[in-house]
Amino acid sequence: MNIYEKLAMQEEMISPGISACVGCNVELTIRTVMRVLGPNTILAIPPGCMGGVGVVGWDKKSGSKTPVFFPLLDNVASMLAGIKLYYEHIGQKVNVVAFAGDGASADAGLQCLSGAAERGDKILYICYDNEGYMNTGYQRSGTTTKGAWTSTTPVSRQGCGGKKQDKKDFPMIMAMHDIPYMATCNPAFIKDMVDKVEKAMAVEDGLAFLYVYNPCLTGWGIQSDKSIESARAAVDSNFAPLYEVIDGTFKLNYQPKEIIPVKNFVSYCKKFSHLNDLEIENLQQQTDSKWHRLQMLCEMG
Amino acid sequence: MKYISDYIVPIGPEGLYIIDTGKWRTRRPEMDIVKCKKCGTCFLYCPVHAVKRHEDKSYTIDYTYCKGCGICANECRFDSIEMIPEEGDSDA
Amino acid sequence: MPEIKVQNGNMAAATGAALCRPDVIAAYPITPQTPVVEYLTQFKADGEIESTMSEVESELSAMSVVTGASLAGSRTFTATASQGLALMYEPYFRASTLRLPIVMAVVNREMISPQTLWGGPQDALCVRDAGWIQIYVEDNQEILDTIILAFRLAEDKGVLLPVNVCYDGFYLSHMSERVEVPDQASVDAFLPHYVPEHIKLDPIRPMSVDPLTNGYLLTEYRLRHTQGHQRALKLIDELDAEFANQFGRSYGGLVEEYCNTDSDAVLVTMGSMTGVAREAVDLARARGRKIGLLKLRAVRPFPGARVVKAIAGRKAFGVVDRSVSFGWGTGITFQEIRSAMYGEGSNIPAVPMIGGLGGEDVTIEHMMLAIDCIYKAVESGLSNETVWLNKEIDIM
Repeated sequence: MNIYEKLAMQEEMISPGISACVGCNVELTIRTVMRVLGPNTILAIPPGCMGGVGVVGWDKKSGSKTPVFFPLLDNVASMLAGIKLYYEHIGQKVNVVAFAGDGASADAGLQCLSGAAERGDKILYICYDNEGYMNTGYQRSGTTTKGAWTSTTPVSRQGCGGKKQDKKDFPMIMAMHDIPYMATCNPAFIKDMVDKVEKAMAVEDGLAFLYVYNPCLTGWGIQSDKSIESARAAVDSNFAPLYEVIDGTFKLNYQPKEIIPVKNFVSYCKKFSHLNDLEIENLQQQTDSKWHRLQMLCEMG
Repeated sequence: MKYISDYIVPIGPEGLYIIDTGKWRTRRPEMDIVKCKKCGTCFLYCPVHAVKRHEDKSYTIDYTYCKGCGICANECRFDSIEMIPEEGDSDA
Repeated sequence: MPEIKVQNGNMAAATGAALCRPDVIAAYPITPQTPVVEYLTQFKADGEIESTMSEVESELSAMSVVTGASLAGSRTFTATASQGLALMYEPYFRASTLRLPIVMAVVNREMISPQTLWGGPQDALCVRDAGWIQIYVEDNQEILDTIILAFRLAEDKGVLLPVNVCYDGFYLSHMSERVEVPDQASVDAFLPHYVPEHIKLDPIRPMSVDPLTNGYLLTEYRLRHTQGHQRALKLIDELDAEFANQFGRSYGGLVEEYCNTDSDAVLVTMGSMTGVAREAVDLARARGRKIGLLKLRAVRPFPGARVVKAIAGRKAFGVVDRSVSFGWGTGITFQEIRSAMYGEGSNIPAVPMIGGLGGEDVTIEHMMLAIDCIYKAVESGLSNETVWLNKEIDIM
């Protein structure tokens, strides 16, 4: 069965009308992922974009056909661990899934996630990295790229500023927890994403973690029709490579036929428009050295 | 005392909360079925899953929730989708 | 058949919890609660309990795991103290507003700063308005019994609220006493199986839990929450009678009165210091003073009617608090008691007293001084400034 047949025959789990931004690739990601996960899923959506757009619903209605709830920003993984522990206690199989932004995963929620990974709680944790607290107005997060404009790392009238610190390499941090399965995904690579969700669902001996790199149209200043194109550029420039870590073994999933300069990816985003050549060169060097590190890890076998 | 709700806790058991996002768009994608090569790219990338796949492997756009983002037109490799101004006749 | 054992407070708590057969337990160690976690994990290792345990990495996680499990339908138990309770405040608040019948033992400990480890109810009293039921106990037998009562109370369909069973750190947690441990069958008979109907995360019956909520609905949820507390007010007294019938022990329900029927003044205490207060009351009575003792058990829901009944018509009352209500300059339960007396007893002189902070003992001398202060108020007919008992008597 090909990817088109597979996705077409699966039921849409999320409400057809949610108030995600026009062209939002996080909306694309959650719809795709939930089609694969299916109805036997308990979904955790922490405060953030997907909660804000109505996936947990309003008043007496829901945004999902599956059970769905709001954990707190800082305890997603722990609440899910509790849910999963009870279902294991009574012997009932169920997918227990987080769909959480970088704020809830790499910043405020990191402690609980790290603890759950270490304990081997059998949950599927999906982090969508749009490099900031976008739902509340694009504030910076630990995974915001260096130099990026955000509402809390703004650019001065003279054109200087942006985040001073480097981007936290969050998928690598999760890989170093030695969990059974860690994989990076991208909305421009749907078949790869679906395959990885299926692999993550099959994990039975610990936490499965999926990291999705989602360029944010409104927060980064990307034209809506370029939503998928800009995400693809992130992969083709090696800025956000696609790889898996299965029981500690690193595997590269995609090698760009032609590696494009990071400058091309940066040019899609207004949030980088104030960067000078030196700053862009710095991003290129960082990308290159991280890519080199990834290749070495993959070679280790 | 009269209550609006029968529930003692915040739960949402009364079906889906659906926003009429079709009303948002200022432009709509128009598909040229002659140029369309049925590659399925638009189907994969539409964020609201407005592109529907049929039994005969063809694809059509359901405008009910389409927000007019233009991803389908941009990603189509065969120039078979064009974004035209939304004139308001959403029954097409 | 029940068994007589020698148990410290923490062991009594762990034993009580184990008898209630929680499905999921998650707790993070913190002095003076740590042995509770250790005893429970030992019970599990020895096959004495079937609960699923999670060794979480902080109290935030402990309350999160427990609220998650409860949402899935589990009966759950956890325990903490001071700093841990503060750390879990975020998920703690919503445990009550999601009406999850969790039982948590709080081994009352003074809040940092200064650096302190020792007993006192400041920790739990500071969060008394987060919606939980709170009951404060006097000795180790009461710890064990109240935990069993707590599950029954929490899971009642008219209550559906989490319960804190609070006991003084070190004074009870680390002190050994004679404890009668009921047998499993008796506890099973007293505590039916928990089946949640009002809220559940289950694909068999999908719902969203805690969607974005408008104010008009939030108002109704808060109103219904207060109704849960109203029901608990009645049930705490009713269950005390039922428990006494089945297990032979009564604690008075919401409050306990000692030598209070013919009293002309009342001393109010809470927690382990009540033991010393009983001795002091006996001594004072032997010397001709008709002092009565009111032991406060439930702080939430607040037993206003029973407090008024115990104090109305007397010539003064005094409250010895092991806590501070900053901004008022009195203890915390003093504020609650005085507030309850507004109206029917608002002209009765009130004596706020603070003692035993940070692990300082509240001795017979302190209690006799407290009684003296109460009778000074009887004579003058006036309320007092706060008496800091440990500053008045320096036993060092």
